[in-house]
Parts: sequence; C-alpha cells; structure tokens
Amino acid sequence: MSAAPIAGAGAGHAIVVRDLTRRFGDFTAVDRVSFEVEQGEIFGYLGANGAGKSTTIRMLIGLLAPTGGRAVVAGHDVAAAPGRVKESIGYMSQKFSLYLDLPVEENLLFFGAAYGLEGRALRSRAAELLERVGLDAQHETTTGDLPGGQRQRLALACALLHRPGIVFLDEPTAGVDPVARRAFWELIRELARGGTTVFVTTHYLDEAEYCRRIGLMVDGRLVALDTPAGLKRTWVPDRVLVARGRGLAAAGARLAGAAGIRAVAPFGAGLHLRVDPARLDGAGVAAALRGAGAEAVEVEEAAPSLEDVFLAVVDRGAEATP
Amino acid sequence: MTRTPLLRSLLRIGAMAGKESIHVRRDPRTLALALVMPVVMLFLFGYGVSTDLDHVPLAFADQDQSEASRALARAFDGSGEFVVVGRPAPEEVEALFRRGAVVAALVVPRGYQQDLLLGRTARVQLMLDGADPLVGNQVLAKADAIARVESQRLAGAAFAGLRPPLQVKVWTRYNPEGRSALYMVPGLSAFLLAITAVMLTALAIAGEWERGSMEQLFASPVGRLEIVLGKLLPYLVLGLLELLLVVAFGALVFDVPIRGSLPLILLFGLVFLAGMLGQGLFISVVAKNQLVATQAGALSAMLPAIILSGMIFPIENMPLPLQAISRLIPSRYLVHGLRGILLKGNGLDVLWPDLLAMAVFAVAILGLATARFKRRLA
Repeated sequence: MSAAPIAGAGAGHAIVVRDLTRRFGDFTAVDRVSFEVEQGEIFGYLGANGAGKSTTIRMLIGLLAPTGGRAVVAGHDVAAAPGRVKESIGYMSQKFSLYLDLPVEENLLFFGAAYGLEGRALRSRAAELLERVGLDAQHETTTGDLPGGQRQRLALACALLHRPGIVFLDEPTAGVDPVARRAFWELIRELARGGTTVFVTTHYLDEAEYCRRIGLMVDGRLVALDTPAGLKRTWVPDRVLVARGRGLAAAGARLAGAAGIRAVAPFGAGLHLRVDPARLDGAGVAAALRGAGAEAVEVEEAAPSLEDVFLAVVDRGAEATP
Repeated sequence: MTRTPLLRSLLRIGAMAGKESIHVRRDPRTLALALVMPVVMLFLFGYGVSTDLDHVPLAFADQDQSEASRALARAFDGSGEFVVVGRPAPEEVEALFRRGAVVAALVVPRGYQQDLLLGRTARVQLMLDGADPLVGNQVLAKADAIARVESQRLAGAAFAGLRPPLQVKVWTRYNPEGRSALYMVPGLSAFLLAITAVMLTALAIAGEWERGSMEQLFASPVGRLEIVLGKLLPYLVLGLLELLLVVAFGALVFDVPIRGSLPLILLFGLVFLAGMLGQGLFISVVAKNQLVATQAGALSAMLPAIILSGMIFPIENMPLPLQAISRLIPSRYLVHGLRGILLKGNGLDVLWPDLLAMAVFAVAILGLATARFKRRLA
C-alpha cells in the first residue's frame, strides 16, 4: 500500500512534505511547510525553541495529525496510515526515554519486541547493535548507571533494531559532552553511508555542518533550505576578512564607509571586516589598509559560520513577521 | 512474516507485560507493597485491631460480703472475659469510671445472699462505661451471659433436678465466637487489593508519562490498548497472588474457613482487580506525575475500602446517603462476596449480584480511562 504521489516529488525521496500545517487553537505551530528529503541523506532541521521543529517531527512520525497539507514518509501518508509510517521508521525522542531501571540489553529486547522482532532473530540483532554502538561489554549494566553519551547511543540502537529506512532524531545530543557528541555523529554518518535516511533536529550549529542539507525554521515557517555552503552563500554574502598588523585601529576608522567595505569592527588585537566580494578581496583590503597608514598588515579570509547564517535568518525572519 | 494481526498484537502485549514484570521484579518497593504489606496488615488487623473484648477491667462493689457474693465475683473473674481490678465502696465507683480504670462495675447490694436463700429474686447492678457503644454492648452481652450461667448454677444447687422455667439461648451463626478475624479477612482482602492495584498501576503509568517513554511507545507500532493491557496484566497477576496470600494466611493463622470454592474467590478477585486497575489507569492519565498519582491513588483506594465497604462499619448502620454512595464502591461487593464464599460457602447463585456490580464498575472505569488515555497525547 503506497500513498498517492505528490506532484513534483520524484522517486528516491524518503520524505515528501507539502504545505504541512498544524494549528493548536489560534496558534499555528507549523505553517505550510514544504520540503523533500532524499534517500540516504542527513537532513538537519534547525530552529529556536518553539519554532515548530518537534511539532513537525511528531507529525512526520504519525504521532500528531496534521491540520492541513500532506506528508508522505517512507511511501506512506502520515494522516492516512500512521501505523505503516511507525513500522517503517525509527524514532529517538528528545528525552532519553529508555527504561533506566532495566539492564541495557532488556531495553533493546523490549523495543525490538515492540517492533515485532522475536526469538533468535531479536537476540542476534540486539547483540549486533550493541557491538555497533560500542556497548557490548555493558549489556548487563543497569541503564541508569550509564553515562549520558552511552545512554544516547543505546537509545539510537533501540531506534535501529527493526532496520528502519528512515530515522528521526529529535535533539539527540542535547546535554551530552563534546567528545560523546562527536562519537555519536560518527555513528549517524556511518548510518547514512549505509543508505539510511537521517532526519535530525539540533541546537548545536557545529553539528549542523555534518548535515547534507539544512532546513531553518522560524516561527513555524521553513525560511531557508539548502546545503550548509549554499546557506552561507545566500545568507552571508559578504566576504569576511581578519586583518592583523600595527596601526590598524586608526586605519580601520579611516576605511569605514569606503567603497566595497560594508563593516569594520575591532576583533581582538586585529580587525574584522565584511566586504563586498565582487569589489574587494584579501589583497585589495591589505593594500587599502596600508594606504590608510597601517604597517605589517596580514589579511586572512574567515569562513562564515552557520551561526552567522542562523542570526541572519532570524533577523530577516523577524522583519518579515511584524 | 505471515502472522495474523491478532497474533502480532498478542506478541506486542506480551512484550509490554514482560517488560513491566521486569520492572516489578527489579523494584523491591513494589514487591513489598504487594506481598509483605498484606501479611503485616493481616497481623495488625487480626490481632491488634481485634474488636473482640476480653479481660474487661471490672470493679466489684460488694456490699453483701457473703459467700454468695464472693461466688458471683469468682464467676466473673474466672470467665476470662472480666478481670476484677478493684473492690471499692459503691460511692468510689464513679471515680474509677472517670479515671478510666474500669469499663464496668458490678454492685452487689446488701441482702443478696439473704434473697437467694429465701428464694426471692436477687438483684445486682451492672454499671457500664457507655462512651464506646461498641464496647458497651459487648460488655453487656458478656455480663448477661455470665449472670445467666451463675443463676443456673444457683438454681441447680438450690433446686436440684428442677430445670429453669425459661432457657434463653442465643445462637450466632457463621461466626459463633464473634471473632473479628473472620469478618476482617474478607474486608482486608478488598482493602489490600484496592491499594495495590490502584497505586501500582497509577504509579507505573504515570512513570511512563514522566519519563517520556510513553511518547516513545506511541511512536512505535504498539497500539494504545496494547499498552494498557500489557501494563495492567502483571499487576492483575500480582493482585491475584496477593488475594491468595491473604486467604491462605487467614486460614492458617486465624482459622478463617474456606467453605466456598477457590475458583470463585479468584473470579471475584479478577473482576474486582479489573475495576481497581481501571481506577489506577484513570488516575494516572489525569494526574500526569507520580507524586500526585500516588496520593490520589492511595486516597481513592483506601478511604472507600475502609469506610464504605462494610469492612469495619456495618453498611446497615450508615445514614441512607452514605449507604447509597457505598453502592458505587466495588470494595463493598468484594467484601460481601468474600464473606459469603469464605464463611457461608455461598455460590454464584447467591452472589451473582455482587459480581455483576463489580463487572459494571470495571467496564465503566476501564472505558472511561482508555478514552481519556487516547485523548491525552493529541
């Protein structure tokens, strides 16, 4: 049983969303959101708290009925066949919803049985995943005794038992230390290399760099959707330069407002400049600074971060919604 | 896989129940609540909270100071029901009552022996502390019985071979000794089952909400009814074990008879537990956290089971509005049913209305709770 195709959505799309909307009374949590997620893609879903990320996820996994629009996940319409959707996806919720009083292995066995696995197949699959997430030595440990990073890897293992084609991870690394976060993302990337589609929300913008594409939510609307590099090009079009040398403060003040220079700000002992990439490059800025009286000038290009993108998007989003 | 949907559903319920029983096994508090508390309570109620009276402190105000009056004192003292704790002058009796030193006083007037010897009716006066009517009534009955025996003895001595003109005999059926354990054990079963079932399910399900795992379960193919059934099943089994434990202890320690059929006892327990589990489920859906669920569970299970079930206070003595309310309390029907089965050997032919009432309650509360449960996450 497959859902009726949605116009514009080709084969190879794991998730297709068209004008998906959810209202709670007068409040519109998700407002006509449309996007596709390709098979085997790591798709990042970013936004401030309350921007509608979790509401979107809960609709996509069949937990919450949409008020309007459509979503087809793994070939099943979430409104018409939430049961089919649930069987074909894995979900790791925001809270660690493992049973902390149960041993590690019992958590796996329970969730496996909940997804219809049983007997020897279930046991061997559980053992396989324990090894994959590096918890095979701890299989008898009480789950509550595991450190946060390991609990979260166990939660991921629980979501993968039934070999879902798509996994939804709702802020999977919240409250976990950086080393554990890195190890976790290594698992996610390995998963995607194996062909599994990963839909992930996160607060950490450094993590979002791992995603192939990122959707940005502001106030229930999807305001940007692109690869990390594409987002940076679109939303932070200026070239960002860092200058070091002597006499920079005076030279910078003189340069402010000159042609091609969009912003000048002190940055540590040096200078932070945003320039029009069409008119100025590193060498041009260095020459201009020397001309303005600075000495021993070195100019380096700095890459804009997703944080710059996020701030730009939120600014623009706030302007658009008075 | 070529499994029927029903079989897959049963497997999922089995997975839920299996997981829940691991929780129970790994949580000593749950096991203590379900299996240790009943035994402790049974001893408390069987011995400590016994409403049987013996060794009632008695003041013996003897103004006659005769052979006959001393015989009367011996009759009271030797019965085991009374202990003569003082022999005051009649005017001192009042003070003894005020201090609470005695519960009853027997005043033998001057001329008691004289009257007996002359064949006149001898009169003695019994004074009672009526502050506790339950105690007062029992003391009166006991004193009356002893006095009757004594008068028979005297009659026998004086007129050997002559029967007393009227012989009064009270025959209490089913519980001739009036032992409280006999009616306490059925009552206690209802009380304990109610607490265990309501509190444990309320706790267990509120815990899933609090932990966030309920959302995880909803995101899995496990259906809501499957979640409910799987979660309740282990507590149903635990409750039935508890019932058997209480009945067995009652029989072994307090000689409570089991005159009716054991399967019928289990059937009553099953239907009663279904209602109590539903009540626990309802509370947990409304309460949202374990603390509130515990308190609401304890109150809603304990108070009606103690006060309105007839376990301690006879329903017939309640004011009419309370009697009406007690009809809504499933404990009432379990207490009545268990007393019937254990003490009288009643069968379904007599007790079906009790079973039906509990079944109606169970269906209603389970339906209500499941409906609330479904709406909860939307």
